Amino acid sequence: MFFHSNHCLCCRNSCKMQTYVHRAVQCTLLKFLDVFSTAYSSFLYLCFKFSWLAPKWLAWNRFSEGMLRTLEKKILSIVKAAHRGFFVDIGPVVGNSDKIWTISLNTESPKTPLVLLHGLGAGVALWCLNLDALASVRPVYAIDLLGFGRSSRPDFSTDAFEAERQLVRSIEEWRKEMKLKDFILLGHSLGGFLAASYAIKHPERVRHLILADPWGFPEKPAEHKEVPLWIKGVAYVLKTFNPLAGIRVAGPFGPWFINFVRPDISKKYQMALEDPNLIPEYIYQCNSQQPSGESAFHAMMSDFGWAKVPIVKRIDKLDPNMPITLLYGARSWVDHSAGDIIKEKRTNSYFKLQVISGAGHHIYADKPESFNQMVIDACEYTDSTNPDTTRIIIAPEQEQDEPESDRNS
Amino acid sequence: MNLSFAGCGFLGIYHVGVACCFRKYAPHLLLNRISGASAGAIAACSLICDLPVGDMTSDVLRVCAEARKRSLGAFSPSFNINRLLLENLEKFLPDDAHIRCSGKLHVSLTRVHDGKNVVISNFDSREELIQCLLASAFIPFFSGLIPPKFRGVRYMDGGYSDNLPTLDENTITVSPFCGESDICPRDDSSQLFHINIANTSIELSKHNIYRIVRILFPPKPEVLSNMCKQGFDDALRFLHRNNLINCTRCLAVQSTFVVSETIDEHLEFDPQCKECKLHRQEALVSNVPDSVLSQFQEAIDKANNGLLDWLFKHRGMKLLSVLTLPYTVPADVVYATFTKLQLIPPSIKSGPRLMYRKAADFDFHSFSGPIYEKKSCQFEMFGNAVLSTPTYACHQHFIRERRFMVAAPQLGNGAWEVSKFFMDKLSYLLSKVNSKRQQISAKITCQLAITEYGRNKYDVEACQALSSENKMNLNFTLNLDDSELEMNDGQSRKFKTKEILCKPSVTINRSDTMDNDTFDHILKVTSQHDTIMAYYYLDENNKVKVTEIFDVTDSDSPIVQTSHERLINNNLEFDDELNGSGWPQHQTIDEHMSQNDLEDIFDSCTLLSDPESEWTGYKVEEPEDDQEETRLDHRPESERSFGENEESWSKKQNISSLTYEEMDT
Repeated sequence: MFFHSNHCLCCRNSCKMQTYVHRAVQCTLLKFLDVFSTAYSSFLYLCFKFSWLAPKWLAWNRFSEGMLRTLEKKILSIVKAAHRGFFVDIGPVVGNSDKIWTISLNTESPKTPLVLLHGLGAGVALWCLNLDALASVRPVYAIDLLGFGRSSRPDFSTDAFEAERQLVRSIEEWRKEMKLKDFILLGHSLGGFLAASYAIKHPERVRHLILADPWGFPEKPAEHKEVPLWIKGVAYVLKTFNPLAGIRVAGPFGPWFINFVRPDISKKYQMALEDPNLIPEYIYQCNSQQPSGESAFHAMMSDFGWAKVPIVKRIDKLDPNMPITLLYGARSWVDHSAGDIIKEKRTNSYFKLQVISGAGHHIYADKPESFNQMVIDACEYTDSTNPDTTRIIIAPEQEQDEPESDRNS
Repeated sequence: MNLSFAGCGFLGIYHVGVACCFRKYAPHLLLNRISGASAGAIAACSLICDLPVGDMTSDVLRVCAEARKRSLGAFSPSFNINRLLLENLEKFLPDDAHIRCSGKLHVSLTRVHDGKNVVISNFDSREELIQCLLASAFIPFFSGLIPPKFRGVRYMDGGYSDNLPTLDENTITVSPFCGESDICPRDDSSQLFHINIANTSIELSKHNIYRIVRILFPPKPEVLSNMCKQGFDDALRFLHRNNLINCTRCLAVQSTFVVSETIDEHLEFDPQCKECKLHRQEALVSNVPDSVLSQFQEAIDKANNGLLDWLFKHRGMKLLSVLTLPYTVPADVVYATFTKLQLIPPSIKSGPRLMYRKAADFDFHSFSGPIYEKKSCQFEMFGNAVLSTPTYACHQHFIRERRFMVAAPQLGNGAWEVSKFFMDKLSYLLSKVNSKRQQISAKITCQLAITEYGRNKYDVEACQALSSENKMNLNFTLNLDDSELEMNDGQSRKFKTKEILCKPSVTINRSDTMDNDTFDHILKVTSQHDTIMAYYYLDENNKVKVTEIFDVTDSDSPIVQTSHERLINNNLEFDDELNGSGWPQHQTIDEHMSQNDLEDIFDSCTLLSDPESEWTGYKVEEPEDDQEETRLDHRPESERSFGENEESWSKKQNISSLTYEEMDT
């Protein structure tokens, strides 16, 4: 629609009208499900509070803070290194007083710390297979993004730019609160998008940008293949909902539903975790609360998972001296266009593309060993460059060729 | 490395494309175990048994066309998918199929009583193998109500428990749904939301929603054909990326033939054809492989075979047929219920039953004479193959549906004689009624002879001498074997065409704007090479589309592979770009490229383009001015040596299984 209005000047007004109607319809449908489920649960909550007649098991939404805490503790119990979890109060960023849940490991190490940003619908506990290895050499901080996991859930803006800015600001406030001078930023999926956005805004804070299957890099390509009208209709209705609304609708069947739809996720952790239900339960608890971060994501998203403001458009604004490592699973394919564009736009910068064979979108869980090793290698590269002289162009020609051979490894 | 094919109903055509590519370019991968569920299991089985892929493709397309004809598509009560599958398997599987498949083929099944997944990999007999494959493709309520028994246990579709059985870590997964499989279509979407049902990763994209719906509602043959080609492309891309083959380049040629009764009047142009020039390669007829041509002929004739078909081609009639659905469906249901009630007791001897079936297969909702002939012919073959086997009873479950005449044998021989008499009279009467139309459809008998008996002779000279009017007549004579088709009045019904000179008019469109050079190139390529794969289908506008995929890598002659084509060739080797972007976008990217090169590429772009080009954009990865340099420097070291080894290796291999024999002129 936007595309259309840019091109036909004569009917711009009508197009705007259409856009308006489109938005209105979307907004009405948008929160229908969430409002429904939360309204029902809050109704029951009121019943419980004032009449103590309706027992808690009647509630549709089974979220409980305690449950989430317990599950996270259980999952993180497989991490051998000493770790500490705490809330970081970042003050009024989006809401009145926002808190970010943080896990820290090996904070005594003098090396540059590594900060992990998770993807959509995930939480810190999903890094459980990686924390040990990554923390063996340097301090590691894993955070629940604002609006996700155990962090507070303020109402984000519905504007794509603004929502992104708010999320980036929350990370910056967190950094200030943690008193970190600079760090290596690793983001997966949505976290990768935010990491890149953060690096563009605050280049002096990021020593090395590691992107693991990042979301929101390529631009939405023009539709080549015509799809039938009814498919468009279905898609139109579907994209008005928050991406994970299904989990909340499922209510008490949420964990079962997650396991039914994504049995592969719990399978990835099968080796390490004895209880196969832990991961679905944890994901359910993470996403059954008020969907604030998810709404922010929904605002930043256009048409089935494309970014409204893709990173490739802005990648040239990124400090050319900042090294970038791009990690991809071989089965996850969006990579190549983004990787190429980055390579192309940053010809004089350090850029390394690594493809992990046999891994899908969740590379950190699919192939934890190779993922950890690649991240450690990338971090070591940063260590090898003196922080005072990092502003010198590091453009090793031979390094650039490396991805070619790595690609098939 | 093992292979694994996902179950996917009618989308199984995708696997055919993949299988074809594997056979041609990576036959060493086929020596290992292959697993699959449902349609994937059938694909795996045909791959192990070395079945002719072109035939299979055309056959699947035919089944889909049949399903689309019914009022409710594949859900129509009178559409029996099990029977169609059984017929095809019986027809194509070799006698030692079970020996070949044992230990190699792994079929995923779901046990009905506990829903657990069972993988079967040893088969004692051919019947058991077929039974297993059918059980793996049994979808409750779609295929039937009661799941079939295999070795005394009831099983259903493997897709309920494990749709993509992986045998070990090194399994190449093939799935027609865009997702996290090794070989799968790549949609323009952001791999963000995807679900994983029964071990098959499915991304939530618009195209995948479309595909999911199409599992049980077969799409147009055109779409299926594109899926097949997509499978081939995806598999080729995978092999390229993983250095499993040397430098290859394939030329997909899609020809369109407009079938019309009169040569001159309907010179229709396929709108799709206008998109690219490759569609209009009429010269290809001269070397369309024998088998494909005959099938293609069959499709032509099928399109002409009835007034009803002709009527239903019009849009108004389509609307009408949708509107009358509430009336036709109950009738269909009643009809199917009635016919299904008549079960043949297994004790009947095969001899008389063969005849019963021959008579019984007169189909009452198709009134045109040729259909009678065709059906009886097919069933005769089928009958000979199946009924003579002693273990026939094991398929009892699937052959329940017979036309209502089948009830007759239960009443004894006398009753059957009476019914046969009536049948013949009736068909005679019908043939009289339809006598006028039969003249039109006389060709159908010709086609029959070709497909069923293979005694055709094509006048190839006529095809090769391309007339300037862009028309071509395929002449062929027919020798009907009378003894095979003995029916009392049949002969007269067979259009007095004992030694007909049939002239099915194949009108071929040729664009005037066709670049002569390009045309010559393709002509050369296609005449020098066998196709890797060729199949045809008939679309709704009565056009036969023949798709052929040629391998032109080895053709070093400068005519076939000009310098710019070589460039493309080299670049394709590194084509691990999976984006769906087409050429124009890359033009802007390749800024450093000299103008000359750009032009070259655009030239070849038109050469390579086909309807799939939006999906499978060939991409020039890095601008290189000197093509020799491209050859040497472009490849990474590891890939280079490996590629060379592979090249020599694959040259030694003679993979003849997929190429059709040259036409016997």
